Amino acid sequence: MVKEIEVEPVTRLEGHGGLRVVLGDDGTVKDVQFNIQSTRFFEKFVEGRYCEHVPRITPRICGICPIPHHLTPTKAVEDAWGVQIPTPAYKLRQLLINAKQYSSHVIHFYALAAPDFLLGPFADPALRNVVHVINKMPDVGAMALKMMDFGQKLCAAVGGKAVHPISAIVGGMKKPLDEDVRDKFLKVIDEQIEFTKKTVDIALKVVEDYWDVVANVGVVPTYYVGLTKNGVHDIYDGDIRIVSPTGEKFDYKPQNYLEALGEHIPKHSYATHMYYKPAGYPEGIYRANTLAMINCADKMATPLADDALKAMREKIGTNVIHHTFAYHWARIIEMVESIEMIATLLKDPDIVNPDCKTLDVEPREGNGVGVTEAPRGLLLYNIWSDAEGICKKLNLLVATNHNIAGIEKSLMHSAKQVFEDKALDGLKLPDPWIK
Amino acid sequence: MISIPVKVAFWQNSDCWGCHQSLIDLHLALLPVLPALEIVYWPAVVDFKYNSLEAREDGEIVVGFIEGSLRTKQDVEGTKLMRQKCAIIVAFGSCSCYGNVHGLANQWDIQELIDRKFSQVESIADESGGEPTEHVPGFESKIVPVDRVIKVDAYMSGCPPKSQQIYSAIGFLLGQKPFPMNDLAFCNDCALNQSGCLLDAGKLCFGPITSIGCSLKCPNNGSPCLGCMGPAKTVGVRAEKLNSMTKDLGAISSGDKKSIFEFLPLFLNLPLMAGFDLAGDILKQIKKHGAPETQLANLPPTTEEIASNLMSFLRDNPDFHEISNVCDTCPRIIGSKSTMTRVKRDYEGIPNMEDCLLEQGYICMGPVTQAGCGALCIKVNAPCTGCYGQTKWGVNQAERFADTVLKGFNISLSKEELLSQVKDPIGTFEKFTLASRKGGA
Ligand code: SF4
Ligand code: SF4
Ligand code: SF4
Repeated sequence: MVKEIEVEPVTRLEGHGGLRVVLGDDGTVKDVQFNIQSTRFFEKFVEGRYCEHVPRITPRICGICPIPHHLTPTKAVEDAWGVQIPTPAYKLRQLLINAKQYSSHVIHFYALAAPDFLLGPFADPALRNVVHVINKMPDVGAMALKMMDFGQKLCAAVGGKAVHPISAIVGGMKKPLDEDVRDKFLKVIDEQIEFTKKTVDIALKVVEDYWDVVANVGVVPTYYVGLTKNGVHDIYDGDIRIVSPTGEKFDYKPQNYLEALGEHIPKHSYATHMYYKPAGYPEGIYRANTLAMINCADKMATPLADDALKAMREKIGTNVIHHTFAYHWARIIEMVESIEMIATLLKDPDIVNPDCKTLDVEPREGNGVGVTEAPRGLLLYNIWSDAEGICKKLNLLVATNHNIAGIEKSLMHSAKQVFEDKALDGLKLPDPWIK
Repeated sequence: MISIPVKVAFWQNSDCWGCHQSLIDLHLALLPVLPALEIVYWPAVVDFKYNSLEAREDGEIVVGFIEGSLRTKQDVEGTKLMRQKCAIIVAFGSCSCYGNVHGLANQWDIQELIDRKFSQVESIADESGGEPTEHVPGFESKIVPVDRVIKVDAYMSGCPPKSQQIYSAIGFLLGQKPFPMNDLAFCNDCALNQSGCLLDAGKLCFGPITSIGCSLKCPNNGSPCLGCMGPAKTVGVRAEKLNSMTKDLGAISSGDKKSIFEFLPLFLNLPLMAGFDLAGDILKQIKKHGAPETQLANLPPTTEEIASNLMSFLRDNPDFHEISNVCDTCPRIIGSKSTMTRVKRDYEGIPNMEDCLLEQGYICMGPVTQAGCGALCIKVNAPCTGCYGQTKWGVNQAERFADTVLKGFNISLSKEELLSQVKDPIGTFEKFTLASRKGGA
């Protein structure tokens, strides 16, 4: 008899999802489906809007990472209209996206992932959540909250609102940071760097404790997609890079994305599946997000993060890394880079420079592409404008598209390990930090 | 804060999670609230599955927050399940209140939306395509606000509602009340009690139900009490008079309407009530289901009736929201040195930080948008796009915008000129609320 195991909904996940594992009567895994159950058709209903208003609508795609959904369409319209933005605007946007990267990675690590690691995966579901972590480890909890608070307040200060920012405009930024506001953040930046270092220590301890899991569960070879600027990790202004399962690298200008990125429409999910087009589907299925970014990068943009990257490569391997649990480690490396970027940018006089918007903006007919790296993976907007600057069409590839096929592939792998090889039975798990 | 945790549930329809992010953004301020909540469903954060919600008794959960738009059949089903399980339902955020930007999709037939996304997009690179149908819920043909599907007890608009507002609303719904709640009403001590009572002059004075404890400054100056000391445990002799006045508010002037709007937040300790609308029977619900030892659950019956009358009045009164709009909270100068001579697009020029953006030529929705956010967008030099929802419903929003702004702002355009220069009226005037139009589409 065929047996179906359903998990409904998948919790601590952004977006609506159900998980389905189909087992044959011999106990073999027949199928794993990740059913994303909602979509809202942004790609259609922005048609007819002013192009410059698209970035005021699309942040609603994701309240956890609205900032990339504000900046990326702005970049796409600038590409379509041939607009160059002033340097202060460029730096303000870098500051904004890094503030989001920081707060999002902190939330992910402490609120979404840590409950599993700190309580252990078999803890009571009523307790396996961040609230319990805060109650049981008040020092760590308070530190995590201060980190999130810093990131979100910085997003609000630069973006106008932390959730659904408004300060970017085609041609630059509506307003620089006020000096007194900047000074407030400068005052606490050293403390935040200390917090980040402590987080690195906690994460490394977790990696050590769970080394058996990291090294043996979910090691799945796939392609990877990320952004680099001449090989350097860059979340605001990189080009698209694909890394093959054996570590070959292929670079594409964002405007040529259709050569690299193919979309497959599955029957069982509203989030479509992306793959590396030259390799075909499903062979070319890739993964995005933190580990993918790290696999794409020759080096990180900042010194401490680059040291952390080297440390990871020394421990797991210098070529491409396929360990699914290494996503958490990669996230920590990116967290370090974001706080270093923030520290540098806060000290840069350009971020309080009112010369952050060009007057040279004229709509023209054509299409433009913008890409950034959102905290969960590559984000791409391709916007078609008419001569008056009305949006005619949008193609939108969000992090979920880039991740979902790869997640299914790694879930398939894990399900086989769990149900067929009983691989988890022999795994060494540490004592939970908290009970 | 109260001692027995109150059961709450958070439900998410098709949306962005931003309302929850806004709640979580309270960060450290959230810590004292958490022990007061027993979270029984919140997939974003807590590991409970759908069937655990189905297994609850009907009405067992005290407050249910519904976030998101009704795009899929699952959204509608889950929303109905929440209504069944929760005593008080809060439409949480502009998605739930109005459909939000997702409602812009109502301009097209559902099949066109499906075709664009699943068949036509440029990046589809193999033979696949067409609407997914396996283990996915299917779509509603049009988006409607949540209150077209179930009864809603409280509305909290905003995309997202501000963190502090959510905090304030949760405190209220949980019946938290830090006021002293003295035994006697203030009216008993009022110098006007024997002669010259403001109620006799037809003015709404809330002294008969408000606690003693202040210096009686307001009535001593001839102004009615606005209830800032909170409710008393017993009511004064004139409470019935006040009660009967609040049953017949039809003729009341707009100045007095404003006083109701000021009174309720002070009296019920709901400091940020703008953007938070309550059904008239919300206090009954709190009394019935809330933590029994809290003060809001123990209001004297007359007090409860008066407050309920006022809330029903505000909800049913079409002009209520016009009392307070984004301009009221905006620091910019109206009647400034600038004048709109043509409609500018947002990418044009660099507006100055002092003058009203409308007067500088940009379309700002502030004058027709409910207050609540504190003019957040305008503070970073971007015009308001109306995410808290309209101040008036059931009218042509473009025309109403023009009529409103031509009255009070420096604009040297005729109504026809103004409106013809806006190339995307739906996206400009109804970006967040198209699905709330009377009649749906
Ligand atoms: S109201 Fe806004 S913030 Fe809240 S879920 Fe909807 S789109 Fe997101
Ligand atoms: S129209 Fe806009 S800028 Fe002008 S006062 Fe109102 S909210 Fe402020
Ligand atoms: S200014 Fe307008 S668009 Fe901005 S947050 Fe306030 S209501 Fe929403």
